[in-house]
Amino acid sequence: MTDMTQLLPWIVLTPFAGAALLLLVGRWLAGRSGLVMAATAVASFSMAAWMFASTQGSLAPFLNWAWMPELNIAFALHGDPFGLFFTLLVSGIGLLISIYSMAYVTPMEPGRMGRYYATLTAFMAAMIGIALADDLMLLFVFWEITSITSFLLIGYWYEQEGAKKGALTALQVTALGGLVMMVGFILIGQVAGTFSLHVLYTEPQRLEALTHSPLFTAAMVLVLLGAMTKSAQFPFQFWLPGAMVAPTPVSAYLHAATMVKAGIFLMGRMLPVFGENPWWSPILISIGLLTFFLGAYQAFLQTDLKAILARTTVSTLGLITLIYGLHEAGQDALQILNHAAYKGSLFLVAGIVEHATHTRDLRKLGGLRKAMPITFILCLLAAISMSGLPPFFGYLAKETLYDGLLTNEILSQWPAVQKFTIAVSVLTNAFVFAVGLKLVFGIFLGRKPDDLEHVHDATPGLWIPTGVLAAMTLILGLLPGVTSGLVSGFSSEEHTHLHLALIPHHAGPAILSLVTITLGVILYNLQNIIERAHKLIALLPTAQSVWDKLLGATNSLATAYSSRWQSGSLSWYLSGCLAFLVGLVVLALWRGGVNPEHIRTSLSEMPWYGLVLCVLLSIASIAIVRARTRLEAAILSTAIGFTVSTLFVVYRSPDILLTQILIETVSTIFVLLILIFMPAFKKRDPISTLRKGWHLAVSIAVGGVVTLLLLLSMSPQFRETANLGAGYLQRSPAQGGGANAVNVIIVDIRATDTNGEITVLVVVGLCVYGLLRARRPHDRSEMHRADS
Amino acid sequence: MTPQTLGNSPILRTVCRFAVPLTVLVSLKIFWQGHNLPGGGFIAGAMAAAAGAMYLMAFGAAKASRIAWWKFSVVGLLCSLTTGTVPLLMGKAYMDHTFLNFHLPLLGHQHIPTAVFFDLGVFLIVLGTLMTIFVELGLEER
Repeated sequence: MTDMTQLLPWIVLTPFAGAALLLLVGRWLAGRSGLVMAATAVASFSMAAWMFASTQGSLAPFLNWAWMPELNIAFALHGDPFGLFFTLLVSGIGLLISIYSMAYVTPMEPGRMGRYYATLTAFMAAMIGIALADDLMLLFVFWEITSITSFLLIGYWYEQEGAKKGALTALQVTALGGLVMMVGFILIGQVAGTFSLHVLYTEPQRLEALTHSPLFTAAMVLVLLGAMTKSAQFPFQFWLPGAMVAPTPVSAYLHAATMVKAGIFLMGRMLPVFGENPWWSPILISIGLLTFFLGAYQAFLQTDLKAILARTTVSTLGLITLIYGLHEAGQDALQILNHAAYKGSLFLVAGIVEHATHTRDLRKLGGLRKAMPITFILCLLAAISMSGLPPFFGYLAKETLYDGLLTNEILSQWPAVQKFTIAVSVLTNAFVFAVGLKLVFGIFLGRKPDDLEHVHDATPGLWIPTGVLAAMTLILGLLPGVTSGLVSGFSSEEHTHLHLALIPHHAGPAILSLVTITLGVILYNLQNIIERAHKLIALLPTAQSVWDKLLGATNSLATAYSSRWQSGSLSWYLSGCLAFLVGLVVLALWRGGVNPEHIRTSLSEMPWYGLVLCVLLSIASIAIVRARTRLEAAILSTAIGFTVSTLFVVYRSPDILLTQILIETVSTIFVLLILIFMPAFKKRDPISTLRKGWHLAVSIAVGGVVTLLLLLSMSPQFRETANLGAGYLQRSPAQGGGANAVNVIIVDIRATDTNGEITVLVVVGLCVYGLLRARRPHDRSEMHRADS
Repeated sequence: MTPQTLGNSPILRTVCRFAVPLTVLVSLKIFWQGHNLPGGGFIAGAMAAAAGAMYLMAFGAAKASRIAWWKFSVVGLLCSLTTGTVPLLMGKAYMDHTFLNFHLPLLGHQHIPTAVFFDLGVFLIVLGTLMTIFVELGLEER
């Protein structure tokens, strides 16, 4: 099995390498970048398929590279069947999408095409990472990469306001959920002492520690919030329709087939960990059922093709959440694969239709059956599978669902809940059935609008990938035996044996299916009535508007806060900083306890010329406060600076003397250069007494505290206990090879501090450059030239 | 001294023809002696910037802006960071300095602490950043 373990990281790293390559050479490859993505998808797919085939029935390969051992975080991957299933799904559909994209995405600037495929490939890599990650922190990292790449891909047409808003909302919701999820992971790690899923599954005492912890439910809710935001579960479902502004291949790949399934994939991963929690089932059943129904109902009311598909996607995600809530994990792979196949192909059909007709609005479409025969057949296959008719894959999935609902152990404890769940499921599936009718009739049958005269069918690059998925819906349905083995082996629950068959074993599911179909036809014919009834419900606040209000409130709170504290007044900033400093020093002195005897007030060590300098300093300080112009103040402050430097002659410290003189020189030049831009002192401006008092208080406090500190530092006791200088003087020749201790401190002993300071300095310099240049119009063109 | 009057004084110009090169030389000397005597990259950088400021006052901001001063800062930062990172790659602590011993023709045996390269970065950054700010302020029009 060692060779399989060696293979494991490459399934993840190959697409990442492809993405990095595309970032470098994508500009030159332009539209052909899709080939690189296709190649990495094939590589990952075949490696994962080989691994699945050769490890069946034996222990799953497990790889553990040290990453941050101090924090118990490892680069650990785990090739179990459910993870490999997800990998196959992601890379397989990734391959189809890369082919489809090359035919679909209109050629743009080569740089943008390269970036598009690089982002898409990085997304694929991160999704495979989520599928195979064993370490929860590693999973979180991949999770965030998918959020970011999704943001970039939704905002592909970033010139459009809608694309920007959709991308931002998606990022806000999923990234927020991701962070919440991380907190949940940290709780698991703290309580169970491991981030490894593999360890959590196999070492019962770890799980027990978690189960008995008071944080058990908190961790579960946090992790579920992450999963539910990603998978667009109620009440976070609103970001998904907004994300449909992305190019259609992106919508099909990220927002139908893979990324939104990351959330439910995580639920599957977490079922063995949290399944015993008494809140697991109630939360997931209620949210799943609500999302399941709302999605299908809203889809039925939409007229935009992608909006319809987005809502039905939300619906199916709710269904899978429901399944996990019911502990029916055995059918997760079945439902996921079913949805990926029919919804993926429907999205691609929507893309083909939009490509050919330049509209996605059902009201403007119709009668395309003759003009687009291939697309019509593919759409028909996918729609029938979605509607759950035999002998399609969707039929098997729906029968299994009904069977599960009828026999579920959790539901059978509460017959009323069971009846309600079954009723809602039947109604929802009826809506889905009606949506299928709406799609086929709306696009391909009926009267053809006049402006669609010259519509042609899809090119092979578009219909082949679509056809592969559409064919899957039929083939997997026609071979229930093969399909049973496949989806049972892939499911997150071990030792699953689903018995799928085209001829029902029991009467129950078959009757429910018949009811569903009848109801679906009725609903389709009642479309107008339902739309009118919906206008009443539409008055309720939508999740999107609540979210927007929440964001708006956060923004205005932040604005109010910053305009109070960040007023832009330098005197306010300065006095605030100084007051804080005084507070800190006073606190330290108070805690340390000041012995008044230590304060030396004798000036006997000071030579007479030192005293003269002190008198000069005092005169200049008093004069600066009374200065009438800024120039006067600048000259006086320079005078103070140079007088202070001279004081260092008295104390025989040439190094600081030199530094101080140079700094004074440089800052004087600086002040002179900006003086012209400063407004004159406004003497007559009334400064409130309160503000004057505040300034006076801060000045006195700073002066007093600094004086006190200096006097204390001169005392012999202080010198003995905190004699830093001597230590540095000893260390600097030995360690730094220099007799100048000050410089050795700067460049050697405390070099990392200096490192930070010089970085800040460079950033400040570049900011001044950028800000001042940007203000000058004729320089801006120069900056552009310098860029290119 | 205002931005408008920069570069208008013949007396200052004459003085600066001598004073600027001299100040630069002194700053280099101060930089080089920094490890054992008062000096070092920070002070030397400030002194070189003072020389640059003199030039700016004597000959005007436009002439002083012919050099892209911000590049000094960036090169300096790269220099300092590289000096810090090399020991890391050699399995030692970040910013762990050592000595370079080598012979140069005419100059004889050299014993140079690698900290000098870090200090050179500091020198370039202080010079580059101060000059960037001076020149950009000097270019501002009221």
